[in-house]
Amino acid sequence: MGDQIARAEEFEKKAEKKLGGWGLFGSKHEDAADLFDKAANAYKLAKSWDQAGAVYVKLASCHLKLDSKHEAANAYADAAHCYKKTNIKESISCLEQSVNLFLEIGRLNMSARYYKEIAELYEQEQNLEQAIVYYERAADLFQSEDVNTTANQCRQKIAQFASQLEQYPKAIEIYEDIARQSLNNNLLKYGVKGHLLNAGICQLCKGDVVAINNALERYQELDPTFSGTREYRLLADLAAAIDDEDVAKFTDAVKEYDSMTQLDAWKTTLLLRVKEALKAKELEEDDLT
Amino acid sequence: MSEGFERYERQYCELSSNLLKKCKSASLIDGERKKQKISEIKAGVDDAESLIRNMDLEARSLQPNIKAVLLAKLREYKSDLNNLKSEMKRLASSDLNQAARDELLEAGMADTLTVSADQRARLLTSTERLDKSSDRIRDSRKTMLETEDLGVSILQDLHQQRQSLLRADNTLHGVDDNISGSKKIVTNISRRMNRNKWIIGAVITVLVVAIVLILYFKLSK
Repeated sequence: MGDQIARAEEFEKKAEKKLGGWGLFGSKHEDAADLFDKAANAYKLAKSWDQAGAVYVKLASCHLKLDSKHEAANAYADAAHCYKKTNIKESISCLEQSVNLFLEIGRLNMSARYYKEIAELYEQEQNLEQAIVYYERAADLFQSEDVNTTANQCRQKIAQFASQLEQYPKAIEIYEDIARQSLNNNLLKYGVKGHLLNAGICQLCKGDVVAINNALERYQELDPTFSGTREYRLLADLAAAIDDEDVAKFTDAVKEYDSMTQLDAWKTTLLLRVKEALKAKELEEDDLT
Repeated sequence: MSEGFERYERQYCELSSNLLKKCKSASLIDGERKKQKISEIKAGVDDAESLIRNMDLEARSLQPNIKAVLLAKLREYKSDLNNLKSEMKRLASSDLNQAARDELLEAGMADTLTVSADQRARLLTSTERLDKSSDRIRDSRKTMLETEDLGVSILQDLHQQRQSLLRADNTLHGVDDNISGSKKIVTNISRRMNRNKWIIGAVITVLVVAIVLILYFKLSK
């Protein structure tokens, strides 16, 4: 591995020299770019990601001078991938620059994909608001490119984070919209009940009993088979428990559903919130009476 | 004519129900009496076979439309007989193992016999078995639901891939059109290049001829 680093440094020095000196026929940028590419490859083989990222950034600036934005954007993207392993902030900034270049060229598809990557990086860092922002941009671009499935995936993530941040109406709208779109599609219609369940849980978190019942009726209309599913039964039971302000009933319903399919972390968090709110209301009632 | 067939048919039905009863009773008993029963059943099966053969001959000698109906019935009886034969074979084979099994399990058998004689204990064991089976059913239902979820996510992935493939297809069509366009442009360029070459060649020839003429006139003056 040591010799890879040595080779890489050699390439880098040669490239810098080319840039500094006076090249004949003005081909110095292309040669320098070539050498930078080789250097970056060698650094990648030697697993020194920071140096590889730095060289990719230099490569990108070379391409920009050569006015080939596409190549530059690609180079920034490669830089970002190298930085992903070490320094996430650098990686995000590289991806942003790459996205801007792609937007200028008009390759909306690639820029949407890279926006999604940025959002995923923010998600890893648990920075949910920024993640939402980027997922929204990605979803918009995907929608304009008519790539509905990936757009829906991004929007699902948005809804997930929004509900975690307590922005319930937004989440509900997104889930219902996705469910409506999936109904028509033969391949996706089996996932509809999952989406309706998520929307229902968000409605429960809002805490408005009338709205919940209206929503359940609406879902019935949307999808006639929904009322036969365990998801609907869970939602109906939970709505009834909230109506009666009975925590035990609530817990029973949740336990019954959990014994069949384990609830994932997101659902558990939200249902816990509902339960706390219910307990608080119960205590309030006791205080008043 | 079909009277003979009906006679044979009745005999066969009697015989087959008899044999079924004997098979059932034989599976409950064991040892020497079982061997006796098995040989009885075997004789019965042979009789049944000969009856079926006679029925077959009778049926074939009749008119075609009745023949079809009777042959269908006959096929049913034949399959019935095959079932009886396989039952008999099963009994026979289990009989050989039976003695060895008895010896092996003899020690354990005595205890379980005494325990199961107690009615309450029997009820307990059956309840336990029911519980176990309902547990198993619940587990299988869980697995089924998990599989269903997995299936749903696979379908979503497939949908996504379908969209990508469609888009790639469109892009390729675009690329195809672009390539034919660029082919035309390149042919154009090469044609113009050729034309220019000929023009230049012609101009050079004219100039050379002009120079030669002028020199000639100059020198011949």
